[in-house]
Amino acid sequence: MITVKSETELQLMRDAGKMLAEVLDELEGECRPGTTTGEIDAAADRLIRSRGAIPGFKGYNGFPKSLCISVNEEVVHGIPGKRVIDDGDLVSLDCGLIYRGMWADSGRTVLVGEVTPEARKLVDVTKRALHAGIEQARPGNRVGDISAAVQKVVEGAGFSVVRNFVGHGIGRNMHEEPQVPNFGVAGTGPLLRAGYALAIEPMVNAGTADVEMLPDRWTIITADGKLSAYFEHTVLITDGGPVVATAA
Amino acid sequence: MAEEKVVVIGTIVEPLPNALFRIALESGRQITAHSAGTVRSGHLRLLPGDRVRVEVSPVNPTRGRIVERLN
Repeated sequence: MITVKSETELQLMRDAGKMLAEVLDELEGECRPGTTTGEIDAAADRLIRSRGAIPGFKGYNGFPKSLCISVNEEVVHGIPGKRVIDDGDLVSLDCGLIYRGMWADSGRTVLVGEVTPEARKLVDVTKRALHAGIEQARPGNRVGDISAAVQKVVEGAGFSVVRNFVGHGIGRNMHEEPQVPNFGVAGTGPLLRAGYALAIEPMVNAGTADVEMLPDRWTIITADGKLSAYFEHTVLITDGGPVVATAA
Repeated sequence: MAEEKVVVIGTIVEPLPNALFRIALESGRQITAHSAGTVRSGHLRLLPGDRVRVEVSPVNPTRGRIVERLN
């Protein structure tokens, strides 16, 4: 069942979202050649706790760190560790925090140093796809409208949509109903009502949509080894239109 | 953090007692699934090697229901 959030809860999600946006902005600045993913994770933990929030990913289904960092052909759920960020890398930061009981979940792909024009295009298209999806997140529309909008932007640019992982409802839990795929048919799926909150997160591959899981049982990589990009916002469905809680 | 999609494609490995089936998902994971009422009442025979669409239970990821045969 999709839950409707109260005014108080929605306001807390806006606060949590603003906090997470600030954290991600600072972490983006830490993405420099020579920094390890572990160092970025330590910074994330510190930045979140210093604001009075809890890093929600840590311990979630056993995930060991405070954020997911996925580099280049890694799609999502990369585990921060000893990996050193390099010039030309595409570094996806996916972070979540809990503030006064309410979740915010957001992320972005950072271009480090000199990247190829193809990589720049991939990131650009993914960002546009997210915003096309957010535009559809209105009362009276259906989840499929969001999914179809994202898919259209991505495939229109010649890239592919990852199918095995999806966006999701969010609130007092990170993953709530409904699932929000990044591909689908407009006019299908659950009806959106004011008071719902969704995490919309297109995951876009330069090559094939197929992905594989690494032996660490978390990190997802592209099957063909090509690049992948991702952007995510927590979006509140309101009568006045979509409210991006995690807007920069 | 992205959520794993609930509707997946798998291949029937073997039938189990009580109209259950062992299914191998594309990810390599194996789950146990039963055939949904619509599939069963259509007298569809499900055999090892059949490719099927499965809804994985969000509560128990090792269980699912077969909603369609894709062969």
